[in-house]
Amino acid sequence: MDNTEYLRPSNLKELGQIMAGHKNRATVIAGGTNLIPQMRNGGKSPELIVDIGDIQDFSFIMEDDGFISIGAATTIAEIASSDIVSTFSPILASSARELGNPLIRNRATIGGNLANASPCADTALPLLALDAVIRILSPGDKTRNVVLNNFFHGYRFTDLGKGEIITRIIFPKPDDETTGSQIKIGLRNAAAISVASIAVMLTMEGKICRKARIAAGSVAPIPMRVSRVEQLLENQEISATLLEQCKAIMKKEISPISDIRGSAEYRSYVTAVILERNIQRALS
Amino acid sequence: MIAKRADTESVKAEYRVIGKPLPRHDAWGKVYGETKYSNDYKLPNMLYGKVLRSRYAAARLLSIDTRDAEKLPGVVSVMTAKDVQNNETVTRFGQTHAVGGFEGLYRVLADKKIRFKGEAVALVAAERRDIAEKAIDLIKVEYEPLEGVFDPVAAMQPGAYQVGEDKSNVICSYKVRKGNIEEGFAHADVIVENTYRVPMVDHAYLEPESGMAWLDDDGVITIRAATQVIEHFRGVADVLGLPHNKVRVIAPMVGGGFGGKEDITVETYLALLVWKTGRPVSLTYTREESIIAHGKRHPYIMRYKTGATKDGKLVAMEAELISDAGGYVYLSPWVLLYSTVQATGPYDIAHVRVDTHTVLTNNTFCSANRGFGGPQPCFAYESQLDELAKQLNLSPLEIRKRNYLHTGDAMATGRVLEHRVETEQTAEKVLEALGPPSKPKSPPEKIGRGVASSMTSYGRMMFLHDTSRSFVSLDLDGSVTVRCGVQDIGGGQASSLAQIAAEILGVPLSDVNVYIGDSALTPLAGTTTATRQLYMSGNATLKAARVVRDNLLKKAAEILNTSPENLDLKDREIFIQNHRKDTLGLKKTDPECNVNYGGTRKAVVAVETCVDDDSDRVVALEDVVKACAAEGMPLFNVAQFNAPTRELIDFKTGQGKVFADFTFGTQAIEVSVDEETGKVTVLKIVSCYDVGQAINPLSAEGQLEGGALYGLGYGMMENVIMEKGITLSPTLAEYLIPTAVDAPDVETIMIESGGGVGPFGAKGIGEPSCVPTAPALANAVSDALGVRIYELPITPEKILKALGKI
Amino acid sequence: MMTYSIETNVNGRPRAAEVTARDTLLDVLRDHWDVFEVKNGCEQGDCGVCTVILSGKAVNACLTLAVQANGKDVVTAKGIGSPKEPHLLQTKFVEHGAIQCGFCTPGMLTSAKVLLDQNPKANRQEIREAIAGNLCRCTGYKKIVDAIEAAAAKPES
Repeated sequence: MDNTEYLRPSNLKELGQIMAGHKNRATVIAGGTNLIPQMRNGGKSPELIVDIGDIQDFSFIMEDDGFISIGAATTIAEIASSDIVSTFSPILASSARELGNPLIRNRATIGGNLANASPCADTALPLLALDAVIRILSPGDKTRNVVLNNFFHGYRFTDLGKGEIITRIIFPKPDDETTGSQIKIGLRNAAAISVASIAVMLTMEGKICRKARIAAGSVAPIPMRVSRVEQLLENQEISATLLEQCKAIMKKEISPISDIRGSAEYRSYVTAVILERNIQRALS
Repeated sequence: MIAKRADTESVKAEYRVIGKPLPRHDAWGKVYGETKYSNDYKLPNMLYGKVLRSRYAAARLLSIDTRDAEKLPGVVSVMTAKDVQNNETVTRFGQTHAVGGFEGLYRVLADKKIRFKGEAVALVAAERRDIAEKAIDLIKVEYEPLEGVFDPVAAMQPGAYQVGEDKSNVICSYKVRKGNIEEGFAHADVIVENTYRVPMVDHAYLEPESGMAWLDDDGVITIRAATQVIEHFRGVADVLGLPHNKVRVIAPMVGGGFGGKEDITVETYLALLVWKTGRPVSLTYTREESIIAHGKRHPYIMRYKTGATKDGKLVAMEAELISDAGGYVYLSPWVLLYSTVQATGPYDIAHVRVDTHTVLTNNTFCSANRGFGGPQPCFAYESQLDELAKQLNLSPLEIRKRNYLHTGDAMATGRVLEHRVETEQTAEKVLEALGPPSKPKSPPEKIGRGVASSMTSYGRMMFLHDTSRSFVSLDLDGSVTVRCGVQDIGGGQASSLAQIAAEILGVPLSDVNVYIGDSALTPLAGTTTATRQLYMSGNATLKAARVVRDNLLKKAAEILNTSPENLDLKDREIFIQNHRKDTLGLKKTDPECNVNYGGTRKAVVAVETCVDDDSDRVVALEDVVKACAAEGMPLFNVAQFNAPTRELIDFKTGQGKVFADFTFGTQAIEVSVDEETGKVTVLKIVSCYDVGQAINPLSAEGQLEGGALYGLGYGMMENVIMEKGITLSPTLAEYLIPTAVDAPDVETIMIESGGGVGPFGAKGIGEPSCVPTAPALANAVSDALGVRIYELPITPEKILKALGKI
Repeated sequence: MMTYSIETNVNGRPRAAEVTARDTLLDVLRDHWDVFEVKNGCEQGDCGVCTVILSGKAVNACLTLAVQANGKDVVTAKGIGSPKEPHLLQTKFVEHGAIQCGFCTPGMLTSAKVLLDQNPKANRQEIREAIAGNLCRCTGYKKIVDAIEAAAAKPES
């Protein structure tokens, strides 16, 4: 139990070497807010901790060429207070402000929130709705991109292979016709694990919805896009009737479980409520 | 004897320290990070203790093999039940006065039958904490899992699984009988009958159970632990088969108590490990241990049937309360007795029938928690009252006003309320303070308001013959020392004693030093429980300080050539009263005067200044002290305050007097409820109590504010969720208490009737302050939505269910 | 057992220790350096009593590995002010009765200190949000918010 090793590369090159040499035994952390409590409980005992928290190249929020790029080790607090994020993706900013509590937000990172792949990962929903792409560094200095929607494979199971790490998250800047909304339901106003969450991005052409992105959290084994609801909305005028249809389809598409925070039927009901509310807010 | 009302009034006119919002003497050390709690001490050669806990809630313990653990390098001792001299003792109640009836089995380490998950099975002491943890994993325990019983109603049935070794799971039952219940309901025009449920809740103090112990040079086991009861030294000594004076318990500042540190936690484990190893041992529970293995607030199932006449007069109340005691008895019988006595609330009802039962199950054991059996029935009787009001088309205030008990009225137990009852005034004040109703922000939001009153005892049950002692002395420079064995759990228990001594001896608060919480060196003051310390130890300190004051005045009278009754004491001077008053009339007062506080620390406090130049009418305190000392006049006193006593009540009818007095109060809440998501937002909360006399208004307000939030957590979110004896909410991420963004600004109103039995007419408010919040919330939600939630906590999910949406 | 040498600066004082990769900053502060004003309440990041200022940010010491603090500055409640030089926040906490059991106080003060450093005019809602990771079971938070607000309203002298 005391044989855990720790390495803190200071740049990408060092990181690449470490990951190449230790790909089978490395557990990557940035803040460590997921791993540290798990180690304390005795559940996890990594052989080697690779801490990317000090790699400057991993901590940034950039706007260029129509894209926003966020370094994997950027803290949730930095995202919550970033002018770029607030301007171009307010739903990511607001979901960051609702993650955990202020102390955790100062340590937790966006890369960690995604790699942890919890169904209730707060930042995953706006990023799914924003069509985000994950850039992954593979052993041998190879880089690959994965659409976030293809990143989550199952409960706490992602596309990340051995020795791979997330380096950045990239999403297109929404155009002027595109608006979003995000709502998280928790059992208290801070430090609450999501019971149900929805993020919505809608691109409107007059009254017609041209593109819809709907992401739902805590209602399936992974944070998920709800394509059937998106399809229902696209190229349609959003009417009360259509919203009722969307809610009905939403309930069919999700597969919530009952746990100490809420029953499946509650999650299902409230997910439909916040879907409608999000669409109305995005349109208003 | 307690302060007489007339006496109190004569002093009240000139309070100098009492009633002032002075910074508490313990606050400075806390902001500078200097205060050392139980886990903040180390000694050379100190070992770390750890407890192995049962994996099963119901099981037979077949064997324990500790050999591998003992072989682990760094492990110094492993102990199981066979190593404990007296592994089973009975918890007895009362300090000097043994009370028959209910005695709870206290088993230090499990053997035979496991009664709840988390029950202590073995102890380890090791050189390092991680080694102790590893050793725990190496102990092999063989269990035979048993079916267990987890529902108190099921546990009451004949043939139910037996939690312990006794014949029945029912620990005890009480009754209250007043009038004729059938006749009462026959007179009722409206009857409502409902079943209410309240959850198991945790104290969730920020400091987990913790302590450290060592053998002193004389072989006394000295335990420095976070406890509300240093007098557990006796119980610990009994376990080890030692004379009581060979165990000493010291309580440093405690990081929150709320009843959870009333029972023994780490003390016995520490004593056993210290006695066995001869070395100092430190032991602190993890948060998970704290949640799964220390006593909780009892879940109750409560059936209430309440009848009223057309004009809103309550005529009959029938109540059946079943409490889940969990795996061991602990304080369950007494908690239930409190519920029984307080089951009818602050209301006058002609015909009453109350039946209560507390039952063993294989859940985590339950014991004391702030309110001690008060919050559970309050949720039920206050919900019932609003349901009646609704049917009778009366306002919630009106139905209450028509039924409140007043001074001189008798409760359902026949006990006459001879002290001040100001419930009606508290209700009027909270509703006035609530102001005009808020407007809903958007269509799914509904606004609702609720009110709830309660009466909650302060001071222990009278048949326990409660006592407290305090020592007050003056040093030659006029500084004051108070020694009193109170445990300070954050409520200002120590600081209030300092204020009382300062008031009586005419010195600034900064001149008083208080030593507390040492079973060997401070006079025993009893438990910091039952909202009793201000009442009991405040009176003891008042009594001791008055004796010292009398001696001073006697000597000063000689010096000033007058009689003691002409003299007063203030600002370290003794002076002839009329003379001083005249002087004061001419002097300016400076309310924002800088006074030296605790040596190097400065605080701004309100003080009156007075310059006196007439030396033949005034003498310095220091000079009087020196004169007394020269003549051998005692400058100290140890006083004992004996609470008024009664014999045990009649358990067949509930008739008799259980408590010395009650604290009365009302809370009002305004909520906004989102009908679509079920989310409740508390917009306003007002709490008004007759506190008798606020010794320190800042501390008293702090109790009212904190109590209301404690009650709001109970109402909105707190729940120790158990499934077949397994706690599903063992961390503070699952067991939710309100954060700063969940907490509204609690508005507090204090009525100071002077009508309490505490010092200067004070009443106790620590526990009463949390009792009516949850029903006020429930009533507000019901007012907003038109449907009632009968089960706490009131979660969004329950609201949607009540609305028929899911 | 694999150990690592770390050096930090705690309240201006250089500190060093040999730690394992699993030790948290909370472990090393309390067990190695006797920095007891940093409390242990849950070791899961749920309660905030171990809050310290690490490189200018308020964090849970229990959610930070000791090795991660290597080479960094740590400030605790004792580093905010002392009896000789009280910080305005400390004075206001005392004056406003924001102290009861005191167990949350050191963590609460460190969160408040960082807030006021970054946002000297923080309003009540901002104050509440800034201390949302610091649980208090005694006070109901009102007097704590009052105290921080009072410290925010007046510039430090």
